[in-house]
Amino acid sequence: MMNAQYSAVSGMQHEEPLLFEHAHEAPESINLPGVASEIPLTLDAFKRKTPPRIPGLSEPEAVRHFVRLSQWNHGIETGFYPLGSCTMKYNPRVNEQVARLPGLAHVHPDQPEDSVQGILTLLYELQTWLAEIAGFSDVTLQPAAGAHGELVGLMMIRAALDARGDQHRKKVLVPDSAHGTNPASAALCGMFTVEIKSGPDGRIDLDELKRHLDDNVAALMMTNPNTAGTFESDIREICQLVHDAGGLVYGDGANLNALVGVARPGDMGLDCLHINVHKTFSTPHGGGGPGAGPVAVNDTLKPFLPVPRIIKDGDTYRIETRDSQSIGSVLSTLGQTGVYMRANAYISAFGRNHLHKIAQDAVLNANYILCRLKDVYHVPFSGLCKHECLLTDEYQEKHGVKTLDIAKQLIDLGFHPMTVYFPLIVHGAMLIEPTETESRETLDAFCNAMLEIAAQCEAGETDMLHEAPVKPFRRRLDETQAARKPVLVWQE
Amino acid sequence: MRFLPHTDTDRQAMLTSMGMDNMAELFADIPAEFHLAPGSLNLPDALSEAGIVRKFTRAAEQNRHAGNTRCFLGGGTYHHFVPAVVDYVISRGEFLTAYTPYQPEIAQGTLQALFEYQTMIARLTDMDVSNASMYEAATATAEAALMARRVTRKTRTIIAGSVNPRYRAVTENYLSRLDGEYVEVGFGAFGTDLDAVIAAMDTTTACVIVQYPDFYGSVYDLAPLREACDAHKCLMIVAFSDISAFGLITPPGAYGADIAVGSGQALGIPMAFGGPHLGVFACKQKYVRQMPGRVCGLTRDADGKRGFVLTLSTREQHIRREKATSNICTNQGLMCTAAAAYMTLMGDAGLETVARHSAAALNMLVSRLPDGVSAADGAHYNETVLSFVSRAKRDAFLATARHRDIFAGIPLEQLVRDSDARHLLVATTEMIEESDINDYIAALEVA
Repeated sequence: MMNAQYSAVSGMQHEEPLLFEHAHEAPESINLPGVASEIPLTLDAFKRKTPPRIPGLSEPEAVRHFVRLSQWNHGIETGFYPLGSCTMKYNPRVNEQVARLPGLAHVHPDQPEDSVQGILTLLYELQTWLAEIAGFSDVTLQPAAGAHGELVGLMMIRAALDARGDQHRKKVLVPDSAHGTNPASAALCGMFTVEIKSGPDGRIDLDELKRHLDDNVAALMMTNPNTAGTFESDIREICQLVHDAGGLVYGDGANLNALVGVARPGDMGLDCLHINVHKTFSTPHGGGGPGAGPVAVNDTLKPFLPVPRIIKDGDTYRIETRDSQSIGSVLSTLGQTGVYMRANAYISAFGRNHLHKIAQDAVLNANYILCRLKDVYHVPFSGLCKHECLLTDEYQEKHGVKTLDIAKQLIDLGFHPMTVYFPLIVHGAMLIEPTETESRETLDAFCNAMLEIAAQCEAGETDMLHEAPVKPFRRRLDETQAARKPVLVWQE
Repeated sequence: MRFLPHTDTDRQAMLTSMGMDNMAELFADIPAEFHLAPGSLNLPDALSEAGIVRKFTRAAEQNRHAGNTRCFLGGGTYHHFVPAVVDYVISRGEFLTAYTPYQPEIAQGTLQALFEYQTMIARLTDMDVSNASMYEAATATAEAALMARRVTRKTRTIIAGSVNPRYRAVTENYLSRLDGEYVEVGFGAFGTDLDAVIAAMDTTTACVIVQYPDFYGSVYDLAPLREACDAHKCLMIVAFSDISAFGLITPPGAYGADIAVGSGQALGIPMAFGGPHLGVFACKQKYVRQMPGRVCGLTRDADGKRGFVLTLSTREQHIRREKATSNICTNQGLMCTAAAAYMTLMGDAGLETVARHSAAALNMLVSRLPDGVSAADGAHYNETVLSFVSRAKRDAFLATARHRDIFAGIPLEQLVRDSDARHLLVATTEMIEESDINDYIAALEVA
């Protein structure tokens, strides 16, 4: 296929071979600085026997290669990206600009503390703001992603339980609507999870919860709003019940966008909360990272925060590397500092006076979509939603059209699909999270597309829905083949 | 608020269309006791865009950085050259603002870049396969130890004392809540005591983790370790701090490593005060189904055209839940794209030049050391330990160097136990010029 003489596939969209298939090597590699003298004789015995075969391209060819690849991608800058539970909001460009200032981007993590006071100020400030926004007493910036934050949260819970002599408590209760990372994180802490069934409204069922609360309970891990997009209104009672049973409550902050500036998880009785700054605080997702998963804690868990951490000492900041009760370190450094620069800039732009508008507009947009679609798509849990709304394919399935078909047809209509088949508590889930940075015009266009798809189902015009997508650069990909005989590297 | 498209009129019209009067109705499901009055949080007022730029510029100016100093600091993070093209590529909104490629039809750019990244990492480390990144080197090392437990169904972990202390700390931390013994052995004199590591192995050992070049920059023959691992049926895990070494020296795969993990930060990623960096994770093909993290594979689309997808997801948390190979979800995707762009701008020749210049700079520095300062023995890549006659002498030198805008090294006791505190961990890269070394030596001579 790559031997085709011409690269254009559609208009000016181009095929692009793999780097390894480019016809020729660059005449010379990039001009590098440095000391061009001899390497020590002692290294001679250790020289590579064969070159790595990294294909060097000339600079213009390299730029064109990656620009063409980029054009096969959909990003939030390209269009609507309503992935539920992912909070795909606009990523301000000024945040990229300030994070690249040399005094922030080219700082070595082991420089003397007096040479990094500026960056420590920004990090400490963010730490303080996150604690204030989430309603907790302190924050660790060390976790590198949400799942990493979960692990850290559970490690602290483990340490707190051990410190009070509750070594035997190993049962972690996880609602069946939880993110998949929850059980995996618990297993890494030497604990085991027990799933608690959601009630008929998709929320935690208090009686079901009580049934599982006993002397072995270590923690409840919960997401609020939950992954069905609804608020756990019994939150106070839920936390009280778990605490009375001697357990702690872990909050998965994946859905904090619904609450930011409007209500605080810490006020509701949770003991800690991890925050996905790449969701709520708009640091770019980068095609799957880098993210960051700082964890906010109350006074119960504060003594167990990881090290290193930033301490304010009068007017100066220093890095504390030892703390007797700390769970220790979970990363080589203080954290994904570059990500935090962007998060700090984002909160700075909203400030005290505008922050609540994030949650307000996010919730407004999700309910607007829900209202426009609720008559033609099945809504498993009625009532208000928060920052995302949950639909299913129940009505369309009667016409042989499934959630996956709807998702793929959306691609042909110019929209990134919603999250599909999650949460697992409903059949054929479609979880739609518009975020606050979308205009009514975009929301209406998306709703119109969804209504058109539903109408096609009703009219029995379903062939194209099974074929979709036909417009993008590639059509449905064979994931079974990919997994059966995995080809993970290129072989000439 | 410039990031929010709605006007108040829009908001009201939308509320009205839903039969509501005001925003508060949208939050009626949250008990009233938890409602915050808008604007009541203890945060500063909003800044304009110009105000944000001013604030960050001022903070940045308070820091010293590799651009206005000479940076001889290593210990896991290195000041290598970042070509402008790398930053341009990862600034493209289509890469920067995309999510994890769950809808492969409209994410082929990210996916092909990941596939190219995996291929080049496999080639540079001489391993069979690579995943699509871990957070950074310490967590990658810990995940490698966990993987070895799954592969061997044994629980004893041996780690050499010459592995970066931060990787050791995180690995020990990850293992501490699980069954099994964790053993740190072979604390050589600024190097690796491989004999002691091998002597500690037994049939219950799941893996042995060494670093190469080690934490002190020392390069040594790993062949005896491979033999010992075969004898004890345990996995050989080779960690590294600066992947640029493998442009020049024999990579872990050539010694038969089962898993190679470490930092890929050298591949076009700025130091950024410790992150985001890139955790490299590569292994033998036969262990691929036990590998943690996301991985991209080749396949065909409905028209038979070549394409790429995230694959082997049955290993992962969202399918396997508590039985997953790892809890990892988000990785360092954008850093993979950066590393792919960097590697192809360099090619074999450029990668070798980076490594040669990095090693040559250290060689030049060590060969010019004045009396009273000595470097560790043996083969070193771009990092070594300098020993001074006393702590006072070392600290006097650090102060002199700092006065001349040189970050001359990391006091060793900040990272590992070093009772007399008269040592300095020093690293060089291709960013160090001969004049920088002259200035370094001059500072040593006056101190």
